[in-house]
This record gives sequence, structure tokens and C-alpha cells, in this order.
Amino acid sequence: MEAASDIPPGTLYLLVLKTLARLGAMHGYGIAQYIQQTSGDVLQVEEGSLYPALQRMLIKGWVIAEWRQSENNRRARYYTLTPKGRKQMARELHKFQRGTAAITRVVEA
Amino acid sequence: MKELWRRIQWIFHRAEFDRELEDEMRDHLERKAEETGDAQKAHRDFGNITLLKEKSRGMWTWTFMEQLAKDARYAFRTMTANKLFTALAIVSLALGIGANAAIYSFLDAILLRALPVKHPEQLAIFYWRSGTKDEPGVVHDHSGSAHLDDTGVLVSPDYPYRAYEFLRENNQVFSSLFSYANAGQLNLIIDGQAELKEGQYVSGNYFSGLGLAPAAGRFISPEDDNAGAAPIVDISYSFWQRRFGGRLNALDKTILINGKPFTIAGVSPPEFFGLRPQSAPAFFLPVRFAASVVLNPYMDEKKLFASEHAYWIEMAGRLRPGVTLARAQAELSARFQQWVSSTGSTEQERKTLPKLWLQKGRSGMDALRREYSKPLYTLMIMVVLILAIACANLANLLLARGAARRSEMAVRLSLGAGRLRISRQLLTESGLLSLVGGVLGILVAAAGIRSLTLLLANGEPNFTLHAELDWRVLGFTLAVTLAAGFLFGIAPAIQATKLDLTPSLKEARAGSAITKRRRIGAMHVLVIGQIAISLVLVTAAGLFVRTLVNLYSVNVGFNRDKLLVFSLDAWKAGYSDQARINFYAELRRRFALLPGVVNATLSGMPLLADWTSRTDVIIPGAHNSEDKPLSTARIRVGPAFFETLQIPIRAGRAFDERDTAGAPKRAVVNEIFVKDYLAGLSPIGRHFTLGSKETATDLEIIGIAGNSRYSSLKRDISPLVYTSCLQAVQNRTLQEAYFELRTAGNPLALANTVRRVVHDLGPRVPIADITTESKIIDGTIAHERTFADLCGCFGALALLMACVGLYATQAYAVARRTNEIGIRMALGAERGRVLWMVLREVLMLSGIGVLIGLVIVWQTTTVLRSFLFGLKPHDPATLVIAAGILIICAVLAAYAPARRASRIDPMVALRYE
Repeated sequence: MEAASDIPPGTLYLLVLKTLARLGAMHGYGIAQYIQQTSGDVLQVEEGSLYPALQRMLIKGWVIAEWRQSENNRRARYYTLTPKGRKQMARELHKFQRGTAAITRVVEA
Repeated sequence: MKELWRRIQWIFHRAEFDRELEDEMRDHLERKAEETGDAQKAHRDFGNITLLKEKSRGMWTWTFMEQLAKDARYAFRTMTANKLFTALAIVSLALGIGANAAIYSFLDAILLRALPVKHPEQLAIFYWRSGTKDEPGVVHDHSGSAHLDDTGVLVSPDYPYRAYEFLRENNQVFSSLFSYANAGQLNLIIDGQAELKEGQYVSGNYFSGLGLAPAAGRFISPEDDNAGAAPIVDISYSFWQRRFGGRLNALDKTILINGKPFTIAGVSPPEFFGLRPQSAPAFFLPVRFAASVVLNPYMDEKKLFASEHAYWIEMAGRLRPGVTLARAQAELSARFQQWVSSTGSTEQERKTLPKLWLQKGRSGMDALRREYSKPLYTLMIMVVLILAIACANLANLLLARGAARRSEMAVRLSLGAGRLRISRQLLTESGLLSLVGGVLGILVAAAGIRSLTLLLANGEPNFTLHAELDWRVLGFTLAVTLAAGFLFGIAPAIQATKLDLTPSLKEARAGSAITKRRRIGAMHVLVIGQIAISLVLVTAAGLFVRTLVNLYSVNVGFNRDKLLVFSLDAWKAGYSDQARINFYAELRRRFALLPGVVNATLSGMPLLADWTSRTDVIIPGAHNSEDKPLSTARIRVGPAFFETLQIPIRAGRAFDERDTAGAPKRAVVNEIFVKDYLAGLSPIGRHFTLGSKETATDLEIIGIAGNSRYSSLKRDISPLVYTSCLQAVQNRTLQEAYFELRTAGNPLALANTVRRVVHDLGPRVPIADITTESKIIDGTIAHERTFADLCGCFGALALLMACVGLYATQAYAVARRTNEIGIRMALGAERGRVLWMVLREVLMLSGIGVLIGLVIVWQTTTVLRSFLFGLKPHDPATLVIAAGILIICAVLAAYAPARRASRIDPMVALRYE
């Protein structure tokens, strides 16, 4: 198996936002798992950067958090996207696409 | 904004936040351990939990606090880089804020603070209103106070004791109705040591009605307030501390009050000073002892407690819960009306009955408020205006600095700095400035309160107004400071960040005229405002100073210089009528023989000390009847009075050795008396009657004295009758005597000699208040002097600050226009023209400011009418002088920058960057 790669700088927010957009409400562990699985185990989300990022998104008002009962009767903090977060996601996506397109052009030139 | 709110919430819910974060991470670990089946690995992967928590928490705080600290550091650096300007802004802010805090503390102490009693808002104080400026007919004896209200109606808090008993028993609106009266200065002897102390009579339910608890011992109760009760006294906390060192063995001690033994029963709480904010009684006696303690010969036991016509006791009550003042007023005024109408015996008495009038008692009696509220509000407005000028200076400073930093701002904005971020930094700067100003302002306030207390007390030893820098004043100062910093920082901040980037970046070279003009426009508006406000303050100062000058130049009709005045009361020392007269006469003789004394005399009251004594006169042959008697001011005077005071005798003679106690009663009248009452009659030798009914005295006029001021500089001279104080007039013999000694040198140098003479002849007679006539007169115009002093300072301060503002603006404008001026000069403009160009602008600015100021003055100074004497609120001379001073100062302030402009070297200026 190829070694898991780090998440490219500046894209963690995008990944989290996108994950929440797809899953609806999800807890931190679930988000990390989803990103890891969906990326085919290529992207490894460090807890050390995930939780500060979630806090930051709370401050910015992109997500809201609430405690819920999870599947096997455990309490967990679930994050949900806000309308502001959705807008932010579009912005981040646009930025990301521009960035990758540019990189692609340079790399393939 | 929401972000800030979330951060603030976070601060308050920090513990909760930490717990949640911990729960969340534990949950995460558990899931991971379950899935991988390896708890250890999960932990390893997760890394340092504490560090992670720190990091997550840091998300909330780090940037915010760090940025604030950074802003403050940066602000501090820019402040120190611009020392002169920063210092000026801070000093003017400190003066403005300090003056506000000082005046506010007085406002708070006098007008806003509630009495330190239980539920002060439930208290109501009783007054009555006469229908006219005169006392109602049913008032035969009045001991206490009265004043004319704004509508010219006489108002007084004093009632007959019978009315108090009647109202106390017949009302449903008060849970407690209690009474009290001023006892004045009484002679206290404790352990053989005598001193004069102010006392208060209180009814047995006074302390319980106010809901006070004693600091020690017990309070006077209804049982103590009976004719047969054992005499007890409660003393004030400060007197307890001062005289007994706060020791409990003071209780049950027996002291002599005016010679009568009283046992100390209790101590009142430290913050309680009675219902009058201006007085601080040292002790409280049961009302029942009023007759036996105070040797008032005209108010005996029977008169005090049985008469329906002796008005002397004051009342206050605690409203029952749910009863409004209006309802209490309605019920009690009807009750009192019913009672008082039964006491009227003649038609005239029934026509002029007093009407009960209830007032809120939350802050106690209103005498001080009446006296000081208008002056204080006026002063408050002035200091707010001064603060406005100071803030305008601050705003000017920030605007100028913002302009100088345009390029810096443009660079920062174009590099992606948020507008909010930059505004916040600028606001931090103005906030820091005003904070430093505020801290210094508190020092200014502390000094201001001290000197203002001295100024207001004006040498009165019993002045007990306690204005202090308490938390309320500090809170007020803080609010003012923050408001000043924010309000006057926000506009420059917005302007500084509202940049069109490209021209601003280029501006460094070319200079974009339009934005610059707008900025200078804002500064000009501020300067015009400052000048207008300064004009108002300078005009006010001018009006007060001229009032003072007018008061000092009033011709008093006698020579007020080098006149020593003091009072003696041999009556309180137990001298009988004849012994007293002999004692006073002998004293006067001895005083007259003292080296350094030119002449000595005495009188029944001091002149021009705001004292009056008025009596009815009936003059046979003159146009008057017994129904509507004429009235006159009167004064008892001793031998050599006219000589000593240097009041000329126009006709007839003054009193001399012929006018002894047994001789026919004679009078000297003043010229106005002759003119008003004896028109067409020959005055000398004419008889008239002084007073009415049983005390009426027949007097023969023996001389006419020149007109002289009698009670007040401000009042017109009215008819005045002089009688000899060696003779009993209206059945009364002189009680307290005021001696007037004309001296060759400094009058006060004789004070000790005078004491010795008095002590030699009457060791038991204390001598009070040795002063001079000039000081007495000064005392009566203390308010005017205070106002002139304060407003003079305020006016000068305002002027100075406005000049600083003007100077700064012009200096800035000249600096900005260096380039342009250089070009003009290179093209041949002369130095004089350049100088004129700058000065013309200043003249225009100050001209506009003065015009606006004049309009404001015209609209507002009428409220000062009651403080003025001898001139109108729109006194043209004052207005012209004030406007002139402002324009001259404006030109002077701008001269330095203008001169600098005219000295610009074109070669340097063109290269100037």
C-alpha cells in the first residue's frame, strides 16, 4: 500500500465543508473517516489539525455544532453546514479549482 | 460582528467549552479504538491531547488578544513619535474629562444622591405655599426658613406642632409621619469642656420612620418624646468618633446642653446627616425638649406646643406601599385645609391660608438643590462644551495623522488588510489616547473637587457637602472617556480607510487635490465648531466677570474698608436685659479706647450679610391705613453708629447720650423712607408707630441718614428705620450684638486684643466669627465670585484649546501645501501675499465660528439672567469684546504657521516630499 499522503495545504476546510455537504450532520471522527475512505486512503486527516480547523469554522460561522445521540447510543458532537458555510464552500471550491487548473497548466506545459 | 459576539460568548462559557472538547475527543478515541482494536495505536495517532486542546482553544483567543496587544503597541509607538501633538491632545482631554468628573461629582452629591435610609423613594416632605410673596395671616410667629419660588410665591417647610399632631392622627396615606426642627448652635459641655455644636430636634418616631438602625445604643423613641420623660440625646457618628474616639462608654454619659443634663442613649449611623444635605447635626434631641433647651424668649412651651399660629416644626412621612405622592397630596391638603381654616380669626387671615404642598423626599430637603441646581447644570453644560473642544482636538489630531499615513494605509489595504482591521487599529489609538487622558483626568477631577469645595464653602465652617470621587463618578468618567475616544476616533478611522487605492498610492508625488480638500474640510468644520463654542464660553465668562465688577462697584453708602466685625451673645450667657445693655455699652466704650481703633459701635445685625428684619409702620398723616400697613426694614444701632460706618446725617441728628433706656423712643430714618412715606411732610419731630398690635412702639424721628445698602448689594435700597439699641423697641431688648470697629490699620490684627477685652469684662460670653465687613460682603456674592472664577478659567481653557486646534490645523495645512506654496513663490508671489493667504483663511474660519457662536449666545445666554447683575444677557460690550478676543487669538495662533509658509524656500519646497 502506498503511504498515506498529507492533505495539500489550504484544502482542509474545503474537504471538511464538502464532507458535511455530502453527509449532512457528522461528528469529527466520521468526517476524518469519510475523507480517508473517499480518497481511497490517500488522504489522512490528522486529528491535530482537524479539531482546530473545526473550531475555526465554528468561529467563522460556517458550521454549527450540537450534541446528539449517535448510532450505538453514544453521545457525539455533530457538525452541520450553515448557509454561510455553503457559500464559503463554493468560494473554496472555486479557489481550489483555479489553483489546480493553474498547476496542471504549468506541470503539463 | 457576529464573530466578535461568538468570541465574547466563548469567554463566558470557557469551562463548558473545555468540557465539550474533552468529551468530543474521548468519543473520537473510543471510536477509533473500537474500529482498529488497538487503543494504544489510537492514542499514538491522536498525538498530544493537551496540545491539541490548547490549539483548539487558541483558535478562539489567540488572534483577537494578540492583535489588540499589537495595536496597542503600535499606537503607543505612533503616539511617542508625535510627542507635542499627543501631549496637547492628552492634556486637553485630561482637563476636559477632569472638569466633567469634578462637576459631575457635585451634581451627584447635591442633586442625584438619595438619602441613606430605607426606601428613600417612599419619603415625602411637607411644605406649604402662601398665595403671595407674603406670609399668610395665620402665621403669627415663624421660626425656620422660607423662600420665594420661581413664581414669586412664599414657600416654607415649617408648621405648627398642633398641625403635626392633627395630620399624624388623621391620615391614611402615611405609614409613619414624623417631625423635626433645627435647633441651631447649642452650647455643649462634656466633662467640663464647652463647645458650640449644631443640633436637631426629632420626634419620637423620626428614626423608626426613616428606617434607620443605630450604630450604637438606641434611638429616641416615642416614649422619650414626652414632657415627663428622662432627657436623652442621640449623637452623630462623626461627633462620637471625634469627641469620644468611638468608645462605647460614651453611652449613658451625661452631658450638658445649654445647661440642661442629657444622657447619651445612642449613635446615628455614619452616613446619615439628617434630611438636609447641607447640614450635619452633631446630636439629636427629642422635640419635647425644644422649649426647655433653647432659651428662645419668644417661643415658650405653650407657644411651641399649644399655639395654632406658631410655625416652627418640619414634617416628613413615609408613604404606605402603593400610595402615590399625588394621592397623599390630595388627601392631606384637604385635611390641612380643614384644620388651618379653623385657625383663621379675621377676614384677612382666612383669605390668605397656606396650602399644604408635598415634595418627594428621596434626596432630602431641597434647599441645597434650589441653591445649586441651576449653577451646577450651567457649569455642567460648560464643561461638556470644553470636553467637546478637547475631543475636536483629538479628532483633528487623528485626521491629520490619518492624512499623513494615507500611503501607509493604501499599501496595507492593497496588500489585503481588512478595512475593519485597520479601523480597529485606529480606534485602538484614539482609545488609548482617551484612556491616558481619562486617567490624568481623574487626577484633575480630584484636585478640582478639592478646590471647588473650598470655593463653594467660601469659608463657611459648617459646610458639609460631601462630593467625592466614588465609583459613580469614576464610572461616569470612564463612560465619558470611552465615548470621547470612540466617537471622535470613528470618523477619522472611516475616513482613513475609505481610500481610493490607486491615486493614494500615487499621491505621494502628485497630490490628489479633491480628497485632500475634503479632509481639510472636515478639519475646518471642527475648528469652526471649536471657535463657536469658545465664543459662548468666553462670553459667559465675560458676563460673569462684568457682573462681579458691577457688584464690587455698587455704592454701599458707607465705608466698608477697615471695618472689623464680630458678634457676641451675652443673652445666651445668662445676662438679663439691663445687664446686657450695660455690658454691651461698656464693651463699646472700651473698644473705642483701644489703640488702632478709630471708632467703635454695635448693631443688632450685620450689614450687607443678607439679613433682613422687616416690620409694619403706621405713619399718621401719610397715605396708609391699618388694613394695609406700610412696611420698612429696621435695624438697632448703638452709639456712634453713623460716625463709625461713615453714613452721612442729612438732617437732624444721630443718636447720642440723650437717647438712654429711659428716654423717649426715637428713630433715625433713611432718605428713601422720607421720600416714599413722608412726601410733603416735615420729617423731623414727626411721630410714627413701628410694629402692630401689642408690640407697637411709638417713635419720634430725630434725624435723616443718607441712603445705604442694608441687606444685599443686589437689592434696591428700601425704607429703613434705625432705632437705638440702648432702648427696648417693640418690647424687645437687643439680644445678640454685632460690633463694628473702624480701625487705622489691618482690622484682623486687632482680633486677639478684642478677645482679651471681651474676656476681661465677661469671661462667660463667647465671641463668634471675627471678620471684616469686606469679607461679609464677599460672602454674600460668593456665587457670583465662584462663577466668575470658574467661568474665567473655563473661558480661558476653551480659548486655549481652540487655539491649539487652529494652530494644528493651519500647521498641517501649510505642511500639505508646501509644494503649492513653493510653486506660487517660484512664480513670483511675495512673502506678504503668502502670509495673507494663510491668515485670510484663518480669519474666514474664525469669522464663521464667531458668527455661529453669536447666534448660539443670542439664543442661550438668557438662561443666565438670574446670575447677572447690572447688565443684560445680551450685553453688547461683552459680546464685542469676546468676539474680538477670539479673532485676535485665532490670528495669533495661526501666525506661526503663516509665517512659516511665507518663509518657504521655493527651491526646497519644490523638492519637498
